[in-house]
Amino acid sequence: MGTMGLALPWEARISTRRERETRVEPSDLGEGRSSAVMDGLSEDAALAAACRSGDLRAYERLYTMHGARMKNLARNVLGNPIDAEDAVQETFLKVQRSIASFRGQSSFVTWTYRILINTCYDARRSRLRKKEVANEDSEEPPRHEPRAPGAHPSLRMALERALDKLTQHQRDVFLLYEVEGFRHAEIAGMLEMTETASKNTLFQAKKNLRLMLEPPRSSAAEAR
Amino acid sequence: MNITCNDRDRIFEDGTLAEWAALEAHAATCPLCAEEVRTWKSLSVAAKELRDYADSPSFWPRIERALAEEVTRKAQRGERWNWFSRLAGLSLGWQTALAGAFVLLLTIASGWIYIVRPVAPGDTDKSLLRSSALKEVESAETAYQRAIDKLAAEANPKLENPATPLLANYHEKLLVLDSAIADLRAQTGMNPSNAQLRYQLLAIYQEKQHTLEEVLESKQR
Repeated sequence: MGTMGLALPWEARISTRRERETRVEPSDLGEGRSSAVMDGLSEDAALAAACRSGDLRAYERLYTMHGARMKNLARNVLGNPIDAEDAVQETFLKVQRSIASFRGQSSFVTWTYRILINTCYDARRSRLRKKEVANEDSEEPPRHEPRAPGAHPSLRMALERALDKLTQHQRDVFLLYEVEGFRHAEIAGMLEMTETASKNTLFQAKKNLRLMLEPPRSSAAEAR
Repeated sequence: MNITCNDRDRIFEDGTLAEWAALEAHAATCPLCAEEVRTWKSLSVAAKELRDYADSPSFWPRIERALAEEVTRKAQRGERWNWFSRLAGLSLGWQTALAGAFVLLLTIASGWIYIVRPVAPGDTDKSLLRSSALKEVESAETAYQRAIDKLAAEANPKLENPATPLLANYHEKLLVLDSAIADLRAQTGMNPSNAQLRYQLLAIYQEKQHTLEEVLESKQR
């Protein structure tokens, strides 16, 4: 299995090795990196404290640091930018309402992303309920609205369609790790699973995606 | 590090940087692993196509406005709560005095209502039906409705395919009457003791009865 290439333009790929090296996994931490992580943790705690005090500039800082990534994640789950913006705004309001109950069991940013993911799935469920009321097919995946033209629009569309066929957990882990660049430790905190489960779910997700994106063997062989 | 084809999936799932380097070295001499590693990495590259971090300048002001409105709402709720908490800040003596004054005020008010507006047992609102009367009205209404339905069944063939414009008009009028009856029945269902609604329903049933009679007469002509 897997001796065929994917039926998509892969020629323009960049080295993922470099990306693996830039993504800091806990097992890779050296002394210099661990001090950087400690700085990040104290910044995270300071941001949480500022948000708890009701300082709107702290929320703006959170938006500057993570707004675009939050919106992109919401867009990939919900399929269109309008619903994505609504979900991100709702997430900020939920953070503001419940910041007093944040006890720091996870990092503040991880907690915020967990709220965002739950908000996206609430929005998705409510959209499905509305479709059920309108007698539409309840199993229909979200329709992805066209984006600004990228390098490989056909590749992106094929991937979006394939992602819709994954389980919710597989899709979440793939989006968080491969698209948004989070570490497994962070994903574990966001999705309330173990780090090992996150790694295994990503492995399963990529295996399934590869099967879905791979061309049928006979046609690929003919092409050769 | 000695890596074989059997280690490939394990490294894909949870390999260290050193293991990845060893796998790539192995892939240089193994075409199957080379293709698998290439395909595996391609998925990570494809994922970047789903990244779109374009900034939308109006988005943060929108969120900021929503957050500020939430702060204002919270402050207003807090003010209302403060009014009560100021009472809680009073000494026990003042709190007892205020509670006593409130109870006295309530007693005087209810006593005054009792004295000035006495209600005799039989002197209830006439527009409300008592339960025994209600049962009689409901059974009479059901019988009357059944009779009208029989009349409607007789007139129905003529109304379904009206031969004259007059019959078509009667048909439309009956549709309007049926809709009004349905509305009133829904209202009486929510408020069964309201005699006023029953009178209105009766009037519409009578109108329906007259219309159906006219339809049947026009049939006989």
